[in-house]
Amino acid sequence: MMQAFTFLFALILGTSQLAAERAPVTVFAAASLSDVLEAAAKDYDGLVTFSFGGSGVMARQVAAGAPADLLILANPEWMVWLSQQGNIGPDTQQIIATNNLVVIGPAHGAPLHPQDLIARLGNGRLAMGQRDAVPAGSYARSWLQSVALWDQVRTQLAETDNVRAALALVARGETPLGIVYATDAIAEPRVSVVYDIPAGSHAPVKYPAAALSPAGTDFLNYLTSAAAAATFAAHGFGPAAP
Amino acid sequence: MNVDAAAWDALRLSLWVACWATVLAIPLALWVAWLLARKEFWGKSALNALVHLPLVLPPVVTGYLLLTLFGRTGPLGRALESIGLSVAFHWTGAVIAALVMGFPLMVRAMRLAIEAVDPKLEEAAATLGAPCWAVFGRVTLPLIAPGILAGAVMGFAKAMGEFGATITFVANIPGQTQTLPSAIWSALQIPGGEGQAIAMVVMACIVALGAVVLSEALARRVAAKISGA
Repeated sequence: MMQAFTFLFALILGTSQLAAERAPVTVFAAASLSDVLEAAAKDYDGLVTFSFGGSGVMARQVAAGAPADLLILANPEWMVWLSQQGNIGPDTQQIIATNNLVVIGPAHGAPLHPQDLIARLGNGRLAMGQRDAVPAGSYARSWLQSVALWDQVRTQLAETDNVRAALALVARGETPLGIVYATDAIAEPRVSVVYDIPAGSHAPVKYPAAALSPAGTDFLNYLTSAAAAATFAAHGFGPAAP
Repeated sequence: MNVDAAAWDALRLSLWVACWATVLAIPLALWVAWLLARKEFWGKSALNALVHLPLVLPPVVTGYLLLTLFGRTGPLGRALESIGLSVAFHWTGAVIAALVMGFPLMVRAMRLAIEAVDPKLEEAAATLGAPCWAVFGRVTLPLIAPGILAGAVMGFAKAMGEFGATITFVANIPGQTQTLPSAIWSALQIPGGEGQAIAMVVMACIVALGAVVLSEALARRVAAKISGA
């Protein structure tokens, strides 16, 4: 029994020493990055702990003194807000990835022409992030306004508290169409992309990161390395400077 | 403080949803409380557990179960849609979420009140020739009125504050399903949205305090009426 405990203890100690070649790092990040960051962390030779959530929640927690080493958001506005609050310096930030918006439908959905959007919805709803609160939702609104569909479709929305919830509604068949990031559509086999939203129709989708400690800087440097770039590309993210 | 129209819409919707949920839930909760307090039947502990489930489950789980059952692809949602009643992403769905979440609190308060009634009073009324509806209406109901009131206030408060199940089940659509808690949450997601959030927090506090003061006043009147009768 005692030997078993000693063995277990050594095992735990051993793995933690192995993993602790670099300082452990705590990352607060936007929920839409969860898949790619967890994949990237597997190849990092240090212990990485994540806390995922909406950009606004993450930013407010960091402003309130959350013990984050690195902060990665889906919305540059919140980084501006944080630097105005004096929580991060302007030179600690950089863009680590970009993304695109797509209209999704059920698996094997027929391609969509934007003018047919209302007809395709029928009496169903269009799932998207909440128009003011969720970045993907406000990008979606910009596009719908640019193609003059907003006034017609605004009464037919199913607005969710995050973009992944909108993805889940389309995947479950609750809504016939939805607007999500291209990377979300890749992650869910039950949906298909029916239309690629032109990048120029809304503000560019950028993911800014800010290191808050030396350990955070180490992990941020890794995320912007060539090795991590392949992981980001495999998950459908665009390069930082397209 | 400048409060925009969306905040007033959210307040109106919250009050509307909470009133509907409370009014619809009272008779059902009273019946279930009666069954649990007075009757012995097969499956009683299962019913008791089912009633309490929304109280002990995380609200997001309750919301997800509601979406699975009442969504457009769910069995109950399809049935309702076939009779022309759509609850998915509609304020009626928010009523269902608020009702389900407040229901256990209502049943608990009413059950305690029913259990506290001395059955001898009801038996006495029955031996004096009162039919069973009159026994309930003229003896039991006045005695348990404070319990019903307490249950209704708890249910209303829960309905006003319900967030997790509502946002999971019927999303966060301004003017349709964006209740006060959802609107406060949304305001906090926008840089510089604190002012708007604080205005709505004040609204929520006023409604909550008002409901408590009103229920205390009502409870005093009911108590006075019972002791006077």
